[in-house]
Amino acid sequence: MAEVATRKCIGVDCEKDAGSLQCPTCLKMGTDSFFCSQDCFKRSWSEHKAIHKTKSNILSNLFPPKVVSEPDPATGLYNPFPTFQYTGSLRPVYPLSTRRPVPKTIPHPDYAKDGIPRSEQKYFGRNNIKILNKEEQEGMRKVCRLAREVLDIAAREAKPGVTTDYIDEVVHKACLERDSYPSPLNYMHFPKSVCTSVNETICHGIPDQRPLEDGDIINIDVTLYHNGFHGDINETYYVGDNAKANPDAVRVVETSRECLDKSIELVKPGMLFRDPGNVIEKHAKSRNCSVVKSYCGHGINQLFHTDPNIPHYGKNKAVGTAKPGMCFTIEPMINLGTHRDRTWPDDWTSTTADGALSAQFEHTLLVTEDGVEVLTARLPDSPGGPIPMPVATQN
Amino acid sequence: MLEDDDAPPELVDVSTLPVEQDAVEEPAQSRVPITIVTGYLGAGKTTLLNYILTEKHGKKIAVIMNEFGDSTDIEKPLTVNQDGQEVTEWMEVGNGCICCSVKDTGVMALESLMGRRGTFDYILLETTGLADPGNIAPIFWMDESLGSSIYLDGIVTLVDAKNISKLLDEPSPEETVHDDHDDHRHDSPTLSMAHMQISHADVIILNKADLVSETELEAVRDRISAINGVARVHVTDHSKTPQIEGVVLDLHAYDAVDFDITKGHSHIDPAISTISITHAPISSSQVPAVDAWLRSVLWECTLPNSPQDKPPRFDIHRLKGLLVVPDGPDKIIQAVREIFEIREAQASSESRECKIVLIGRGLGEAEVWQRSFDECLQASLE
Repeated sequence: MAEVATRKCIGVDCEKDAGSLQCPTCLKMGTDSFFCSQDCFKRSWSEHKAIHKTKSNILSNLFPPKVVSEPDPATGLYNPFPTFQYTGSLRPVYPLSTRRPVPKTIPHPDYAKDGIPRSEQKYFGRNNIKILNKEEQEGMRKVCRLAREVLDIAAREAKPGVTTDYIDEVVHKACLERDSYPSPLNYMHFPKSVCTSVNETICHGIPDQRPLEDGDIINIDVTLYHNGFHGDINETYYVGDNAKANPDAVRVVETSRECLDKSIELVKPGMLFRDPGNVIEKHAKSRNCSVVKSYCGHGINQLFHTDPNIPHYGKNKAVGTAKPGMCFTIEPMINLGTHRDRTWPDDWTSTTADGALSAQFEHTLLVTEDGVEVLTARLPDSPGGPIPMPVATQN
Repeated sequence: MLEDDDAPPELVDVSTLPVEQDAVEEPAQSRVPITIVTGYLGAGKTTLLNYILTEKHGKKIAVIMNEFGDSTDIEKPLTVNQDGQEVTEWMEVGNGCICCSVKDTGVMALESLMGRRGTFDYILLETTGLADPGNIAPIFWMDESLGSSIYLDGIVTLVDAKNISKLLDEPSPEETVHDDHDDHRHDSPTLSMAHMQISHADVIILNKADLVSETELEAVRDRISAINGVARVHVTDHSKTPQIEGVVLDLHAYDAVDFDITKGHSHIDPAISTISITHAPISSSQVPAVDAWLRSVLWECTLPNSPQDKPPRFDIHRLKGLLVVPDGPDKIIQAVREIFEIREAQASSESRECKIVLIGRGLGEAEVWQRSFDECLQASLE
């Protein structure tokens, strides 16, 4: 259980220390308001509830406020959720840039229009995982190769001072140049063309106006839709030399990279989808890291996300066996501290519940007759790549 | 919702909120059992739930009278009874990202509600009359390592003694279960949703007993036991259960096994049956062979070591088992549809033989299953 620091009760004329009791309304609004007891809270209620009025109106309980903070007059930038209890030091920096258009000549997935992936919501019958024929496998090979190219282009731009919105622009352009739709764009209403997850962000970070800082780590998660197929890949990169000099950052990034590599070693016909999680969790624990449980690897083909579900944690009940012709991702998210996550009010950005660093790597895999083909494999000139683990943590 | 200006709400103890627990190792937390209540319209579900809600039992029980898994509503009502008082809460079921998320949004809504408003002793989920419990149970039968604050306690099915035979034999088109994966089954007996609700049940409440004769009641009882030979059957009228705990609540149907199989009448129902197979105690090195047998049977719908007279097509709805392992901890097996787990039994069993009970469609003769299981275990020794 979390340590609770000594606080004073905010009840009227109360001098006592407060424990961990909080006003539920304030808690919901993301403000701190601790009381020593229910009695004291009751006594102070008529005065206390006025605070709620100043910070909310009738609608604020129904809809999260779109804009509440004042933009910086010099830059026009602002934090859209100033009362949210962020778990770390990272903040969203709005406004987001306007939605980038995709020419009609490029084939769009079904959700591009209204945000709802209807084709994914169909029921395919139990335990019915798609086996791709040779032609379809070629389609996957192609889009995954393009996705690797786009990721590499984006990664070369991940330098101190560059905003994640600029990386989004680079990814978007690179997709269009390859006659591809950037799959994240408008998927379940995701507003951008790539996910950029910085520091304590586990995944699904929305590119915004925050410039990268020397010492950050950033995950770039790219998916392309090309000629009817999706290809999905992500890697975590060190921003500047300070990140590489931070033993904790190196530990979480390299552990995540190794977890993916070790789980791919298992993949061949007959592998049980419940098995990668055991290998990933064991390795993460050996490095004193934890495994995020809320997000899984997934089947991918003509659909962005489909069966099977591949958990990254151990002792899971996942159903099914890998067979030649199946395509899926494995994408372990590894944290320095707790495995628990907390989502920002943007309904996307998933961060660690304790604000500690998180890293992730992902490949799209094709099960072959006797093993696996890593469709999104690194190219000889791909940026990033492993660096030595700091000596201090190897003890 | 408008906040109540007249009375202050209950303070929330933030030290008990799930997100505040942050050790890499999971702290032990008390989990709230959820019971799924199924049954046709008119079987007495609402009467039973009202009975539970108004009875003085000294427990805080939440009842969700709504269908889960329906993503169109953003808020769902939930009625909470405490000390005989009913309160309606609203759960915000966000339509957050579904991609690669492991928890149902309904589960997350319940967890968050309990985080804000304090926990319950029990949660009861009433499904619509035509819901297939086999699709709902997996939502709540979550991996333990997900650390959810709720767990699946079991499935209770209400059966109307007067109408059940008709529902089983002559279901209307919308009450008929349509197969999703093969059409060449015209010859097999019709399967009704009533079958599904009985086959998945851990407890069956045979209601409206006052409306039928003794003989009719016995016939219905036999029919139910033939479909599901392991569910506990309670006979009632007006949905009045003599006691709630152990009958509707505290079933532990997914973390323990107890089976007293009702014997006989195995061919009374043409569609669904219960069979059991037994085996002498096994060594811990044979547990993987049992796992492989279960994968074949539950995932591939294939009986291994295929004897020539194997059942042509089958579906298993529910499976429970006990493995007696002299050189290691005993194991229990639980399965609903294709999802299964083998876990350590909490206490050493008094039973001196391994036993597996299967409930499903098209199972055929028990001997065929027995032989297949025996051969797989034999092969694991060679």
